[in-house]
Formats: sequence, C-alpha cells, structure tokens
Amino acid sequence: MKRIRHYCLAAIIQGALLTVTSLVAHAEDATTDGFVTRKEYEELKAQMLAMKKELDALKKEGEAAQKQGSAENQALVQSHKEVAPPESSQGQTVADTHKQVATEAPPPVVEAEGSLLGTTKFLLAGWAEAMYEQRNGQVSTFSASLNPVFLWELTPKILFDGRLEIEPSGGGTNVNLVNAQISYLLNDYVALGVGEFFSPSNVFVERFEPQWINKLPDRPIGVYHGVLPNISVGAQVRGGFPIGPTRVDYALYVSNGPTLLTSDARTAGRLDFGSYTDNNDDKAVGGRVGFLPIPGVEVGYGFETSKPGFQGTTFADLRALLQSVDLEITRNSDLLKGRVNLFAQYAWSKVDHAVYDPDGSLGFGPLPLTAKRDGGYAEIAYRPTKLDIDFLRNLEMIFRWDHLSGDPSGLGDPSETRWTIGLDYWLSPSTVIKAAYEWDKPNGERNKNALLLQTAMGF
Amino acid sequence: MLRVLTRGLLAALLLLLISTSMNLFADPKENRKTASESSGATSSDSYMGLTGEELWSNNCLRCHNIRPPTMYGNAQWDVIVHHMRLRANITGQEQRAIVEFLKSSK
Repeated sequence: MKRIRHYCLAAIIQGALLTVTSLVAHAEDATTDGFVTRKEYEELKAQMLAMKKELDALKKEGEAAQKQGSAENQALVQSHKEVAPPESSQGQTVADTHKQVATEAPPPVVEAEGSLLGTTKFLLAGWAEAMYEQRNGQVSTFSASLNPVFLWELTPKILFDGRLEIEPSGGGTNVNLVNAQISYLLNDYVALGVGEFFSPSNVFVERFEPQWINKLPDRPIGVYHGVLPNISVGAQVRGGFPIGPTRVDYALYVSNGPTLLTSDARTAGRLDFGSYTDNNDDKAVGGRVGFLPIPGVEVGYGFETSKPGFQGTTFADLRALLQSVDLEITRNSDLLKGRVNLFAQYAWSKVDHAVYDPDGSLGFGPLPLTAKRDGGYAEIAYRPTKLDIDFLRNLEMIFRWDHLSGDPSGLGDPSETRWTIGLDYWLSPSTVIKAAYEWDKPNGERNKNALLLQTAMGF
Repeated sequence: MLRVLTRGLLAALLLLLISTSMNLFADPKENRKTASESSGATSSDSYMGLTGEELWSNNCLRCHNIRPPTMYGNAQWDVIVHHMRLRANITGQEQRAIVEFLKSSK
C-alpha cells in the first residue's frame, strides 16, 4: 500500500516535471517571442530542481522499504523451515494438523455463531422428575430427582457424554455418576467408546430409561436392576450399516463385569451389577445385534459372558452367561387413528453349578445350585395422534406386564409379576404427566399394589 | 448352555414373526412419510431411499416423541444428533441427512 502511494506520488512529480520542462522549452522560445521572462525561467528552474531532489529522496525511501520487506520474508521462511523441516516426521504431522485445521475449520460466520452463549458445542440436556407413590404395605412418599446430561462435542468426531443423578435422600442429597464416556467416530459405520456406559446388552436402559421417555412412572423389574447390567465400565465398539433396504446395528464391549454373591443365603448365586470395580483379571465380553427389516421395527439379541467369582476363591472359574431378546415396533396407523408402540424384552442368566458355603461356616450351607434367573417385560402404548381434538391427541394409554423370577437360591426374594395400566398427558413433546396403577403380587407375600403419579420434563 | 442358547434364538425368531405381522395393520404411506405433510420441508439428501426428514422421524419416534427443529440451534442439533447416533446406532450418512434436514427446516 505504501509502495503504491510512492509510485503515485512519483508519477505526479514526473507529470509535473514534464509540464515544467515543456514550460522551460517554451520559456527558451519566450526569449524570442516574449512569453516568459528570465526571472520566471530561473524560478521555474529552481522549483524543478527542488522537485527532482524530493523525487530522489522518495525513490531511496522506497528502495529501503523494499529491502526491509525482503529481509522479513526471508526470516519468516527460515523460521517456517525450522518449525517444520520437510524431512521431519514431527514437522509433517504439524503440517498435516495445520492442513486438517484449515480443512475442518468452519467459516468465520459459523465460528462466530458457535461462540455465542448457548450455541457452543457444549450442551446441557437431561430431565427432571417428581413422583408420588402410594404402595400397599409401605409409607406413601413423594420423591424427586434431577438428571443432568453433559454433552461436549470437541470435534465432529469426538464426543463426551456424562450424566449425574441428583436426588434428595434422608436429610441430604445423593449425587451419583450414572455414566461418563468418551467416544470417537471412526467412520460412518464404526464408533469407539471408553468409560462408563449404558450396557448395550440391555436395550431398555440404553433407550427407554429416561423418565421423559419411559411411558410409565416406574421401570420394569426384570431388566432394570434385574437380570441384566444397567451400566458397564470398559470399552465398546458400535455402529450400524445397511444391508439392501434393511439395517443392522451392533455393539460389542469388554467390561469389568458383575460380581457373584456367595456369602448370604438369600442372595447366593445372584449377580451383583452394582459394583463397578473388577474382582478378578477376567473381563466380561458382551454385545447386542439388532435387525431392522423395515423402518420402525427392530428385533435384537444381546449377551454377556463373564467370570463373576472373586479371584483366588473356589468361585473364580465359574462362568456366567446372560442373554436377552428384544423387540421394538412403532407404527402410525390410519386405521387406529394414532400411533402404537410395542416394546418387549426378556432376559435369562445362568451361573455354572457351584456349592455355596461348602463347609457350613456361614450358616446356610452346603448349598449346591446352578443359579438361573429370568425376567422381562412387554409394553404396548397407544396415542391417538390423528384425532382432531387437541386434548385427546395429547393422551397416551399404556399397558405393561413385567416379571422377575425369584432369587436363585430359593431363599431370597420370591418371583414377582406385575400388571400396570397407565394414562399419560403430554404437555409438550418432552413434558408429561403420568398416572398409573400397578397390580403387584410377589409369590407367597401380600400384594404390593401401587398408585403412581409422576411428572417428568426432558430438556 | 446349548438349551439356553436355543431358547434365546427361538424367542428371537418369535419376535421377528410378531414384528412382521404387526406391519400388516400399519399404513404404508405413514411408514415412509411420517411428518412430511405437516411441515412441507424436505431434505435434498437421501439415504436408503429416505429423506433426512423421514430418517429423523423414523429413527427418533422409535423411542420418544420428536422435538421440533426450531427447539434447538444449529450447533445444538450437531451435538444432539451426534449423541443420538451413538445411542441409536444410526450410520454417518443418516446422521448427516438428519442434521441437514433439521437445519434447513427452521
């Protein structure tokens, strides 16, 4: 810019010089024709010399600036060479990173939008719930919880997701870390995840457990803290891929696995999924495969195999196998004037044969058994989304059957089967008021029928 | 072990049979175009013959009510659909088509 200004100035001066020279020429002639006097000629000559001197000074200044610019450029090139020499692999990585950043960086306008408060790649989601439960044989109670979900997309491929459960308890507040996972999208069909995640073998927990999604106030006993794990700590690989017009999704994981309970008559042979640290060097391996023959329909099979016994004990080599099948159907029907959801899942667990308290030192043995357990649920819901009346369109009717078999030892909790009907009213797509009545009759015990009222809001 | 495995596979086959029969009472038009008529907006991208809007509607409604595209900003939808891709095991193409639809519908 400075150089251009100098050139313009030089051009103006040269133009002026030409004019002056022309005038001088005329002046020389003027001696003959009387147009310019000698005095005027001398004045013009002095002006011309002054301008010439000024032009020379400007030229020198321009050349000096040019030389300085070249030196700076040379230094810059040299410094780039030092940072990223072509032969250096580290330098190549840096160059690649620069290239990647240059490629992935959004346009300035997008970046500006992304930096605005509330529109960054960090998102606070989750839900809140409040509930009233009146169960036969128990004290009626209100309860509430806040479940914030923290989502942080560091790049379009890397995501952190973590959830807390905050609820009042006794005279204080309980805060639990529900999950915390870092995931990486390897390509369109494969994603990797490490940390504490929802067990892929348990589709209810992965998809329907949040209370603004779960259509009834409580969760099915067979698959929620029942036969299958809710949470796993480990690593997983998952994704989906099309096969013709259908799609298959999958998830495989390794984790610490469950712990086998052995020291109490009531719970002997039961698997404890609540201990997230490992009790041996063996790692549980599990997964789920789902098949979607048409949109809105999915059939799945999940499994997990592990050694749940404590290392160094007689239970160390026992193997546990968990299996589950599930079905999800969502259909919009003109015939039924609305939407129908059908969810079903059933799971089995089996631990190899063992003798619990073999020497009777714990007071209940010897107790030989092959620990088996099963449980599941089936739920159907109908919402008349195609009716014209708003009030009716926001209603949803639900019916659920759920079951959990008794403790494997036969000495603990008996098997339990529940039937539940519910009615929901949707205030918004993620805010619901639920009312339900549950018939609950554990074998050999008095009923635990319950009235359940709940409000949940997803955000 | 073999008996348990056989029982699991039989149950899976039974569920597949039920799922196929459930399709009989469904409205085929609704299967393919769920919310198209209501909003009128469509995505130019398509995957497996489905537009971004159809993928959005079909995948999200499987588990929960769908939230309107205007409920979140573009950057927020990026994060949400990324998260949901991991949870629902949708493919990268489906993720991009859904995000494009959500951003273009506002």
